Amino acid sequence: MNLFWTRVLTIAAGVLLLLFLSNDFGLIDIQKTAVVAAVGIDAADEEGRVDVTAQIAVPDASASEKAGNVTIKNARTVGDALAEINRKTGWYPTLVHCRLIVLGEATGGRDVFGVLNYFLRSEFVEDSCLTAMCEGRAEDLLSADSPIGELTAVAVTKVLSSEAQKTGLVCVTNLRDFAKGYYSPASSGFLPLLSALPEAESEGGGQSAALPCAAEEGGTGQSSKEGGKKADVFDASRTALFAGGRCVGVLEAAETLAFNLAATRTDFAYGTVQVQQEGKPVTYELKFKIRSKKVRLTLDGGPAALFRVRANAQIADASRASGVVEIAKTAFVPDFVLRAAEETLQENLRSALAKAAAGGCDLFALRQKLHRRYPAQEERYAAGLLQAAQPVFDIRFDTVH
Amino acid sequence: MPFAASLQQNLKAVKAVLPAEDILVHAFRAGDGTPCAAVYADGITDKKGIAELAVLPLSRQEAPRTAEALQKALPYPETKLPQDVAAACQSILAGDALLLADGVAGAVTLGAKQAAARAVTEPQTSVTVKGPREGFVEDIKTNLGLIRKRLPTPALRPETLRVGRHSQTAVCVLYLDGIADAKVAEAVKARIRAIDIDGVPDSSYIAKFLAQKPLSLFKQAGTTEKPDILCAKLLEGRVAVLADGSPIALTLPYMLAEDFQSSQDYFVSPYRATVSRLLRLLAVAVSLLLPAFYVAAQLFKLRLLPFPLLMTISGSIQGIPLSPGLELFFLLIVLEVLIEAAVRMPKYVALALSVIGALVLGDTAVKAGLVSSPAIIIVALSGISAYTVPDLAGTLSVIRLAYVVVAGSLGTYGIVLMTALILYYLVTSDAYGVPLLAPFAPLVGKDLGDAAWKESVYALRTRPAALRPKNRTRLRLVYRGGKEE
Amino acid sequence: MDKIKLRQICFYFACVAPSVKFIVYPATLTYEAGNDLLLAALGSFLAQGLVLAAVFWLSSRTDKTFFALLQGAFGKAAARAVYGAFALYFLFSALLPMLEQRSFVMLVLYENVPSVLSYAPFFAVSAFACSKGFKALGRAADLALPLFCTAFAVLIALAVPEADFGALLPVARRGAGIFRGGLFGLNWHAECAYPLFFLGRFERNKGDAAKVLLSFAAGAAAVLLFLAVFYGVFEDIAVLRQNSIAHISKYTTAFTSLGRIDLLFIFAMTLVNVFALCVPVQMCVHCTHAALPRCGRLWPALAASGALLAAVLLLNYSFLEMQQLVTQRLWAVFLLFAYAVPLAAALLFGLREGKARPAPRRRAPQSRRKRAPRSHRGREQARRIHPRKCRGRERARRLHAEKHLRQKRARLHTEKRARARSARQGAPARGGREEGA
Repeated sequence: MNLFWTRVLTIAAGVLLLLFLSNDFGLIDIQKTAVVAAVGIDAADEEGRVDVTAQIAVPDASASEKAGNVTIKNARTVGDALAEINRKTGWYPTLVHCRLIVLGEATGGRDVFGVLNYFLRSEFVEDSCLTAMCEGRAEDLLSADSPIGELTAVAVTKVLSSEAQKTGLVCVTNLRDFAKGYYSPASSGFLPLLSALPEAESEGGGQSAALPCAAEEGGTGQSSKEGGKKADVFDASRTALFAGGRCVGVLEAAETLAFNLAATRTDFAYGTVQVQQEGKPVTYELKFKIRSKKVRLTLDGGPAALFRVRANAQIADASRASGVVEIAKTAFVPDFVLRAAEETLQENLRSALAKAAAGGCDLFALRQKLHRRYPAQEERYAAGLLQAAQPVFDIRFDTVH
Repeated sequence: MPFAASLQQNLKAVKAVLPAEDILVHAFRAGDGTPCAAVYADGITDKKGIAELAVLPLSRQEAPRTAEALQKALPYPETKLPQDVAAACQSILAGDALLLADGVAGAVTLGAKQAAARAVTEPQTSVTVKGPREGFVEDIKTNLGLIRKRLPTPALRPETLRVGRHSQTAVCVLYLDGIADAKVAEAVKARIRAIDIDGVPDSSYIAKFLAQKPLSLFKQAGTTEKPDILCAKLLEGRVAVLADGSPIALTLPYMLAEDFQSSQDYFVSPYRATVSRLLRLLAVAVSLLLPAFYVAAQLFKLRLLPFPLLMTISGSIQGIPLSPGLELFFLLIVLEVLIEAAVRMPKYVALALSVIGALVLGDTAVKAGLVSSPAIIIVALSGISAYTVPDLAGTLSVIRLAYVVVAGSLGTYGIVLMTALILYYLVTSDAYGVPLLAPFAPLVGKDLGDAAWKESVYALRTRPAALRPKNRTRLRLVYRGGKEE
Repeated sequence: MDKIKLRQICFYFACVAPSVKFIVYPATLTYEAGNDLLLAALGSFLAQGLVLAAVFWLSSRTDKTFFALLQGAFGKAAARAVYGAFALYFLFSALLPMLEQRSFVMLVLYENVPSVLSYAPFFAVSAFACSKGFKALGRAADLALPLFCTAFAVLIALAVPEADFGALLPVARRGAGIFRGGLFGLNWHAECAYPLFFLGRFERNKGDAAKVLLSFAAGAAAVLLFLAVFYGVFEDIAVLRQNSIAHISKYTTAFTSLGRIDLLFIFAMTLVNVFALCVPVQMCVHCTHAALPRCGRLWPALAASGALLAAVLLLNYSFLEMQQLVTQRLWAVFLLFAYAVPLAAALLFGLREGKARPAPRRRAPQSRRKRAPRSHRGREQARRIHPRKCRGRERARRLHAEKHLRQKRARLHTEKRARARSARQGAPARGGREEGA
């Protein structure tokens, strides 16, 4: 290093050190930052305005997390609300660790991208965060007591985890995927529909069969641990359908499962089938391992949506007493049960397709398929495709040999 | 000034140059009664050897008439004929004895140097679990002997030069003829000859004069205290420099990759050695970058920390009065102070200081809310990691501080820019025609096998190409795993 | 003389040059060409490949520098003028990538609002790098190779599971968009002019052009793969993702316990990008130094970096306007300097050098340099065909040669020692070489 560079470096080092020691550059460091773990957005009473709830992860000295929810009512935009959090609390909210965006039920009545585009514009917000809709107000959902941890956001993200998606119980969507659907030619999308089930209401709540049980178990566990403190559990087995950014329908738990089995990344699922055996109704719970799946659009003789599913099934449980040999052969599923399961899946898929088509939601991305595979005929079919497309099923469940 | 034929005149001349009281004159007579004298420096000369092999034989025979005859008459193994009084005085100061006889217009110097030297022991700076344990000492002759013992080849070329106007320190340049690049050896010698300094206390002084960039933060010459390592480097085609009074030998040209090699790597399996090298590389990266990223993450880029870790850190830094940058900066300074004190303090105080360091500065500071526990963990990890490459530890500690300052001021991009600057500096640094960052930049594919990772001994057939050795063949493979090639 | 190695040129095209195309280029290309972005990029790469092939064809016919060629043809003043013009062009071509990187840095590497001065230290680094000539450029390319390969492989591996390559269908439906994408993307494909200034500064060997073109193809393949994955991940919202390299891989790592581990690889890519951004400034300094040798390298380096710093500060809030101006209106500048001039120079000087004198003798490649004498070639060939059969003979020949050499060496050694002893008593004997010559 010659003398020139030595001098330059010495001066630069001196200046930098002086700045470093004399000033913290007015930086917003970790101590001045409010780490927002989840954002809830509700439609405000006033037209066109929103109530924004930020769930802030507040660490205490023992390094455990506590939630602090801050709600800004009647904000013009989400960005405005977040700025107001800063003005009111003195903390600078950062959304880089925001893992969840929850839309209140009422927001679904108008184009949700009116509130979501804030998250797409900013580089400081991760569009990998999970996005969901909830029954009632998002503010209430984020205020629910979680049975898993202190932060409701953490509990909900576990409900919406990729593992849950793989088992087909939930249709998990992140902001990017939802936005991709919205800005695609189909202008459609779906979000998991969250509902908080208080322990008191969990019995006979009218939801899917599995959920009240889960609520009961969670509640019991929590009670024993925390001396009778009641906690909420979260259900996301239903799916809200969107077209043009508006909520146009809801898939029930069975339809959600069918959609997952046919079209998403689910490769391992549980489903129930009711059959008549010896004149009595018997319920079988089957475990499915998906081997292959495909949804295709064909235009031969009119548009048709071809659903092809290949899966292996295994009995997980049955509602009747079985013999020892039958239990030992639990991997073997009787043919009539398999056919009944195929029939159930077809019915649920047909129902999901019909619901989506009725609302104008391109749930199975048929318009996208038309655009990609048949660009020459896009103009001809695009308009009425959802209504015109007839479902064709090629579903085959096999037993494990 | 030439020697006279008179003993008294010669003694007077010598005393005129060396009036010091530790320059002793032992007067005696030869067998025929001719007055003779041995002049030597007290304390550094082997008096017994002079008495038995010079004084006693001469006292039993007739005094020779010429210096050459005097030299032949003595059974002394190492003798020289000095040109004049000044040269003889230099030899006396170097520990030799000067033998004078009346009527002889000349003198003989006897190689009788016997400086107090410590025994050959394992150097504390490079301890090995497996492998040779000998280390260099302060005596250059002993060190040369240790090298000669390992390389008994006529190709080994030592050349001793004198450096220091007053110290006249012996500096020996060594290389293997036919292997090392002769141009490098000549350049090294030329630079040593050009040194005009009053004294050379240690070889590190020589290193400064041999450096291409003397102001560089990075080392410019390789150093070792072990003869086995030095011999291995000579065999690779490097030039070594030994200085009298220093147990540290220098090797040139130097490449940064050398510091990541350990002698142990060559004694264990290549897989183990490769893992060790990668660990060292990782440790250096951790040592340099971990504190900087910790600061940058807290000040500029929270996303660098996973959410649970962020919560943990956020919880533990609550109430800390210093900003993250200053906190780390001061802790790193404290670490350097502790290391500095631990190196210099008497051993019996070390225990007390380590208790103070660990308890007072660690635990109590955290409890008092002065520093956070993650910061202490980061600094400790960084400090320990630096010592996986001990030769670089000093440099790393300075760069680490710079990284923290840059990270605290400019954030993650500052870290990237600082890395780019250091890399640009390193890639453009050459010494004796060898790039400092070879074999990585410029990329010398054949040399990577003993730099980035460690190949088996069979694969190391050639010497490092970056050193441009005259003869590249290191290994002639006749047998490998029972197969003849 | 400012030298560079052919290997380093190859590494530059394979690893350094692609890194600048991973920021705004994909989104801009998507804006113009939609899902046909690959075709637009491919067209640009083919045009660049053509220019590179022409320049390396010229390189095979002359060992002169571009300056010497210009001087020989038009005189020194003209050569200086051309170099001066190129210096200005390189300075101009460096501006947009710098603004692009500044924006990337501000948005991706910081979460709070940093001062514009946070980017300023880059110019100190570039000034330092530029003052070191092509050595810094070449060796930085050597270092960039492992960095780029690791970072690129990891980021792509993390992104591929999220990509739906069906989004690239239907192909070639946007003819005008593809053309516009290619034309407006010229400033990201301007590095094909650089080899013109490497002429005469690297050791020429047979097959240089093939090596460089292969490396360039590897770099182009990396960019095309990146573009495909990028569009596959974002589809219709791709145009929103301006800092594409920072986004494509985050979805895999978002909910893992390690967090955004991909950020470390993004930083590594940013480092490669710093090397890449220094290159046009280095070329500018090189041209200035060649045109005005008296001013050395340091002052042009400081001046160029200072000018760019001033421009970046001035245009701090005008990135989009600048981008539009440079890509949509000033594309002709890039077409002229990066494509037309190198092509014209290659044709003009290539034909001229070919006519004026025979093509220079090329050095044989390393593998052939130490080839056995013609008389031994048959044996060599036989050994390759029948290794076992010939091994014994080969060994005997080697042993014989070694024995002969030893005897000769011993004789010489004895003679030399005798001579030395007689010349001066006690002088140290000169030892023979440890190993055979």
